[in-house]
Amino acid sequence: MTTFIIRRVFWTIPVVLLVILMTFLLMRQIGGNPFRHTERNVPAAIQANLEKKFHLDRPWYVQYAYYVKGVLTFDLGPSMSQRDRTVNDIVKDGFPRSLKLGLMAFLWALIVGIPLGVLAALRPNSVFDYIAMFLSSIGFALPSFFVATLLIYYFSVKLGMFPTSGWPNSFWAFDKRLVLPAFALGLFPMAYFARLVRGSMLETMQQDYVRTAKAKGLRYRRVILLHVLRNSLIPAVTATAPLLGLIITGTFVIEFIFSIPGIGRYFINSVSNRDYSVVMGITVLTSMIIVVANLFVDIMYGVLDPRTREAR
Amino acid sequence: MAIDRREAALPTAAPALPSIEEPSAGAPVAQASLWRDAWYRYIRNRGAVAAGAIFIIMVLYCLFIPGFWKIPGIWTSLKGYDPNGVDFSQSYIGFSLDHPLSTDKFGRDLFARTAVGGQISIAIGFAATFFILVIGVVYGSIAGFAGGRLDNAMMRFLDALYGLPYLPFAIITLAIIGTQNFLSMTIALTIASWFTAARVVRGQIITLKENDYVRAAHAVGARWYRILIRHLLPNTMGVLIIAIFLELPGVVLGEAFLSFIGLGINPPTASWGSMAQDGRAAYVLHPEVLFIPSLAIALLVLCANFIADGLRDALDPRTRETN
Repeated sequence: MTTFIIRRVFWTIPVVLLVILMTFLLMRQIGGNPFRHTERNVPAAIQANLEKKFHLDRPWYVQYAYYVKGVLTFDLGPSMSQRDRTVNDIVKDGFPRSLKLGLMAFLWALIVGIPLGVLAALRPNSVFDYIAMFLSSIGFALPSFFVATLLIYYFSVKLGMFPTSGWPNSFWAFDKRLVLPAFALGLFPMAYFARLVRGSMLETMQQDYVRTAKAKGLRYRRVILLHVLRNSLIPAVTATAPLLGLIITGTFVIEFIFSIPGIGRYFINSVSNRDYSVVMGITVLTSMIIVVANLFVDIMYGVLDPRTREAR
Repeated sequence: MAIDRREAALPTAAPALPSIEEPSAGAPVAQASLWRDAWYRYIRNRGAVAAGAIFIIMVLYCLFIPGFWKIPGIWTSLKGYDPNGVDFSQSYIGFSLDHPLSTDKFGRDLFARTAVGGQISIAIGFAATFFILVIGVVYGSIAGFAGGRLDNAMMRFLDALYGLPYLPFAIITLAIIGTQNFLSMTIALTIASWFTAARVVRGQIITLKENDYVRAAHAVGARWYRILIRHLLPNTMGVLIIAIFLELPGVVLGEAFLSFIGLGINPPTASWGSMAQDGRAAYVLHPEVLFIPSLAIALLVLCANFIADGLRDALDPRTRETN
């Protein structure tokens, strides 16, 4: 098990380097020099100095090495369009908000979605099952920007229960402004969990070992809790990594709608402003999160299902 | 084992269908029979049939109401509407017989405009799905068929790509292309989401490769490309057809997201995403302008999901969604 974990951790190093390389090359492809297309005419000497300062006069692989070094030392460079702010400042500013939004959405998806799937699977084709699956099909299909706007329309505008936008400044502050964004963001993952868990529960309950457990006279509750649940929750664990990607995607849209100054909003603004270092920094940061989540999921998978350890 | 696949396609608990005849020993298993069985299983699934019907109606609505290519639209020619034409005297006049889905701020008939937008959204959906599957089949079958080091390297590369978050990746690709139109949206969404298809195809190829008939083909001297094209790829067809309807919702939603945050199809060109963006400006007073395209997206995605479920039960009842 330890070797498996160590090997898996080491595998992430080339993956991380490759992810940074991909982002780096993509950003280079966009082209244009951040110092050239300004309204002011920069003298050639200053231009050269600026390029030297940011190593833009060096070949791309040297720039890449500098960038990797920067990422590893948590220095993502200065912003190219917002003066006197570094990418670190922007990340420090926006990331906690996005993280909080994402975590809250994820938690509610987990807390509601998994029990919903389990209960639906325990009574397949019952009224509860149909209602749960109908709701999760809808949650699965509605685009999150629509859910968000719908929520604002009814709960903020019509009923006045929640504010339409805004976000508390402190990471640990909780108030009404969090409810709608977190709900809207978590709806899709919730539906995803419910469907996934229901499917894998139903499949697990048809396994021979479950029949054996029932046949040898174990109590229903024990069979479900010990034999069925453990194995049918494995897909839910595996799904957390891709779901995290979806939640990150979702934060972009939700932050846009609710005017939350998180990294998604900064990202969208930076794309329009051609602020490449911010775009790149945020892409690399979210990539790292996904890579680490994948690592975590793989290790969890190895713990939960010993058969998968050998294969990797 | 071709026969094994047929068995796998049979419902486990349900009684055998009368239409399935056992192939006599040594007789080649007719391909059509598998598809016919799948068809029978599919049409017995009421939800999937309804979803399929709604899906087809939606596509027909999008094609024929405003017209496409050189075919004049039923609705637009009849009423003389231009889906992109501005007429402020008609703005927000609400639901009526002349405008069954009301009008937007510029007085454009939403019944026609939703259909025009649907053409773009659905076309991007199918185009990107097509390219996703093409890339997926090529990449996945090379990796799965070659095996060994090449497979390992290709999968590690895919792992790295998996680390890239979907929407930022698509946005950066769009920024590289520099324009925001049908083609660039298709390319960006394809590039950002072909990984799963490649993995699925590779997994299929690796499983199929171990089958006896592949070894037999190998033993009688079939070249690798013949094994790949004649024996392996046809057997991935079922998975690929399911994959069409699994990928489609993601691409349609991706287009909508990008257009909604203003980085995709831009107004006045209609797509469901850009129409939703239009509607967002005035949703408090005129929510229908936002709701109509959003509900269209939701209905399409819902149908695609049901169709995918139905197809999976029809073609491959034992495989479950694993990712």
